[in-house]
Amino acid sequence: MIWILVAVVVIALAVLVIVARKPRQEPGVASFRRHIDALSPEARREVMDRVRPPDSNQQEGQGN
Amino acid sequence: MARDLAIDLGTANTLVYMKGRGIVLNEPSVIALNRQTGEVLATGREAWQMIGRTPGYIVAVRPLRGGAITDFEITERMIRLLLQRVGVSRFTRPKVVICVPSAITEVERRAVTDAARRAGAADAQLIEQPMAAAIGADLPIDEPVGNMVIDIGGGTSETAVISLGGVVALEAVRVGSFDIDAAIQAYVRREHGIAIGERTAEEVKMAIGSAAPTDDESQAEVRGRDLMTGLPKTVVLTPEEIRFAIEDVVSSIIASVVRCLAKAPPELAQDFLVRGMYLVGGGGLLRGLAPRIERETQVPVKMSNMPLEAVVMGAGHCIEHYDALKTMFMGARRP
Ligand SMILES: Nc1ncnc2c1ncn2[C@@H]1O[C@H](COP(=O)(O)OP(=O)(O)OP(=O)(O)O)[C@@H](O)[C@H]1O
Ligand SMILES: [Mg+2]
Repeated sequence: MIWILVAVVVIALAVLVIVARKPRQEPGVASFRRHIDALSPEARREVMDRVRPPDSNQQEGQGN
Repeated sequence: MARDLAIDLGTANTLVYMKGRGIVLNEPSVIALNRQTGEVLATGREAWQMIGRTPGYIVAVRPLRGGAITDFEITERMIRLLLQRVGVSRFTRPKVVICVPSAITEVERRAVTDAARRAGAADAQLIEQPMAAAIGADLPIDEPVGNMVIDIGGGTSETAVISLGGVVALEAVRVGSFDIDAAIQAYVRREHGIAIGERTAEEVKMAIGSAAPTDDESQAEVRGRDLMTGLPKTVVLTPEEIRFAIEDVVSSIIASVVRCLAKAPPELAQDFLVRGMYLVGGGGLLRGLAPRIERETQVPVKMSNMPLEAVVMGAGHCIEHYDALKTMFMGARRP
């Protein structure tokens, strides 16, 4: 009987240790990463390509 | 289901970007009203053509002039008409991101978002113009480096330092290219004794206006009304005298850029020397302005690729990545 109890306690402790050790990502880190990734040049390419006239990829404004 | 929208509600020009489509509207921020009944008679280009040419019962106005919302009711009607024109109805309720001058007050902010919601938006968020401009000008604002953007519009000039997706330093003044037009108008009146309209003054600015001497300078003929005789009269204006006429406005814009530079932390300031600062907005197209800013600040100045569209492109990017970029909206950062 006592052995069963000990086993249960050991298993419970092991589970607890595993859960505690699992690196839980901070919500702040995740959303900041998402924010920064969404501002990367690759993410922005879509809008740029949609708006930019076909052959003015480089240089100078178009004036008015 | 309506497509979500990004709006650059500029003092001079209004642009609308539709999610998944691109820019669907680009026209002057002008509305023409019947003075007696208050009815809207025209908006955009059509209303712009009426400026200074209307009979007494019509009034053509720029409701956002001066970078402030001078008339809430008219602004709301303009937003409503704008949304209607791009297909928003009571049954299609899109999310809307609107770019506003960073200097607008809490009351003005609420007026704009309320107006958009009443006009059919499911959700209306605001983003600061220089932030949108930096995104739209394709600056590497996702990196921990100093990105400086100068947005000179019709009614406002805003300079911002941006790093890691946030504003580090900001300097905004309610002085812009319209003030250059007004300075030309006042000068011609004072020195040549003729009255010219604001559209004529704008044409003079674009034709021969400059912030510093340039290689290709020419004179311009301008027609107006003689203040003494009341008759139409033509005078010739030189680039030098226009430079003199607009000097106060130009130098106050440059002073605000200098103030922003001074606010930037030293680590970022050294980035500017290498990367330069980026000029966006129609006012930035004034001849000789970029070299003049460069000379006075000792920092290289570059013209962005699409100076008139950069702000709406930046806001458009925010509507494409709405959830990830929520934190950039004005309410989110300063509740
Ligand atoms: N080539 C040019 N030279 C000088 N000024 C110009 C030129 N092209 C446009 N402008 C001026 O730029 C202004 C419009 O710029 P822009 O569309 O960026 O303003 P806006 O975004 O509506 O204003 P704001 O950002 O202040 O709300 C007008 O005053 C116009 O006269
Ligand atoms: Mg603008």
